[in-house]
Amino acid sequence: MAAVAVHQFVQCITCHAWSPDQSMIAFCPNNNEVHIYKLLQDKWEKLHVLQKHDQLVSGIDWSGTSNRIVSVSHDRNSFVWNQEGPEWVPTLVILRLNRAALCVQWSPKGFAVCRWVSKVIRKKHNSSVTGVSWHPNNILLATTSTDGKCRVFSTFIKGVDTRESKTGSSSDPKFGEQILQLDLSSSWAFGVNWSPSGNTLAYVGHNSMIYFVDDVGPSPLAQNVAVRYLPLRDVLFVSEKMVIGVGFDCNPMVFAADKSGLWSFIRFLGERKESSSGPKSGSQISEAFGKLYGQSRQGLSNDTVEPSKIQGAAHDNCINCIELLKQKGPKTKRFSTSGMDGKVVIWDLDNQHDLREYL
Amino acid sequence: MAEAEKPVEPGSAEDVLTKIQNKSGRIENLIKQFILVEALQTALEDSPPQDERCKFANWTVVHKALMTVKDVEGRLLSLDPKYYDILMKYIYRGLSTGGPATCDRCLKIHWKLTAKAGFGCILRSLADTVNTV
Repeated sequence: MAAVAVHQFVQCITCHAWSPDQSMIAFCPNNNEVHIYKLLQDKWEKLHVLQKHDQLVSGIDWSGTSNRIVSVSHDRNSFVWNQEGPEWVPTLVILRLNRAALCVQWSPKGFAVCRWVSKVIRKKHNSSVTGVSWHPNNILLATTSTDGKCRVFSTFIKGVDTRESKTGSSSDPKFGEQILQLDLSSSWAFGVNWSPSGNTLAYVGHNSMIYFVDDVGPSPLAQNVAVRYLPLRDVLFVSEKMVIGVGFDCNPMVFAADKSGLWSFIRFLGERKESSSGPKSGSQISEAFGKLYGQSRQGLSNDTVEPSKIQGAAHDNCINCIELLKQKGPKTKRFSTSGMDGKVVIWDLDNQHDLREYL
Repeated sequence: MAEAEKPVEPGSAEDVLTKIQNKSGRIENLIKQFILVEALQTALEDSPPQDERCKFANWTVVHKALMTVKDVEGRLLSLDPKYYDILMKYIYRGLSTGGPATCDRCLKIHWKLTAKAGFGCILRSLADTVNTV
């Protein structure tokens, strides 16, 4: 089984982030607080409660380089938390947003660029930014928004950032310059992620589509993959050729690229519930469809109905956050998901033999 | 028939209407020859037109093809998957008419199409507010 650990923390989790050594987890239990738990002798103990925000904390990230936590909230504020002794001390980051902040991410080099990011985002976006992802080169930033577009910006600052290797354009782009705008989705776009090399970008739309973009630059190559199931909320590249998508189906979905670079859905990662939507069990859905089609439950085909939940499904509500976990070996195999059921599930791809070729 | 003015060049809307009329003729022939899957595919071809009159004309043609569907499962098996999303949109249009025969047929097709194409198909037909039928 791919899910190696399931931890029920609270009723509902908005977002989560791991400490650099993965011994502690910070998450928002669907309120204005950030809870930090530590795994002590196989039990999770609540160590700290960070209370500074006035409204829902919608994004958390824990820097791998500086051990600082950044949190953003619907109250339009962002705090950077520094651990001083036993306490976590907040520093307010002025974002100057006139709407809620929904997402945040530390850059690979650990720069505290929340403020700058907010400046960039404010300029070009006309509606909520739902997802943010830094390119491994620490210069490009991708965002997804409720206007359905995915944009890539340069955050190159002369004198501060250094160009390590060849890049797409010959001249240095200005800070905040929009490199690319992708208008592939007609509905809200969520969850954007760069592949480990930075060559490919993936993001999802609320219309049950997932988009893969290669050659991000003047002439990008986009692939639109229609998802058979309910929409996804977040994506994660586990390797150059494998992406995990999570969302309303409560079960991580594996997408992979074949040798020619064509992406497609491979399978669900966890145990599969037959009727896979909605917050509670499949019986509600089957009953609703039964009434719609004017037939008894027994009469419906087994494609759409499974009255009882299959035991063993890891999440039983929408998964809204997926994070990479530090790996023991060279290949990425482990990641964690958190969802509206208040659970954090750790997944390991080690035993998934059919997926080995994509790692 | 006088209709609300739309910001569409008369030329292009008329052009589309003519194409739909031709399509209708072809579909009639296909139905007579019982080449029913082809009839449905021809009806669904060309993304939904923008103009309201064209949309209505196209719907009439698609409706004709839909009402000939007796063996729903068999028809869907042979239908090219690229037509699933657009068919779902027309199913919803059919369901919104309220006509008992149309709704009955559309409901049956909806059931089988959802089983075949998944919830994602329904999502896409709902989420696409640009290419409406």
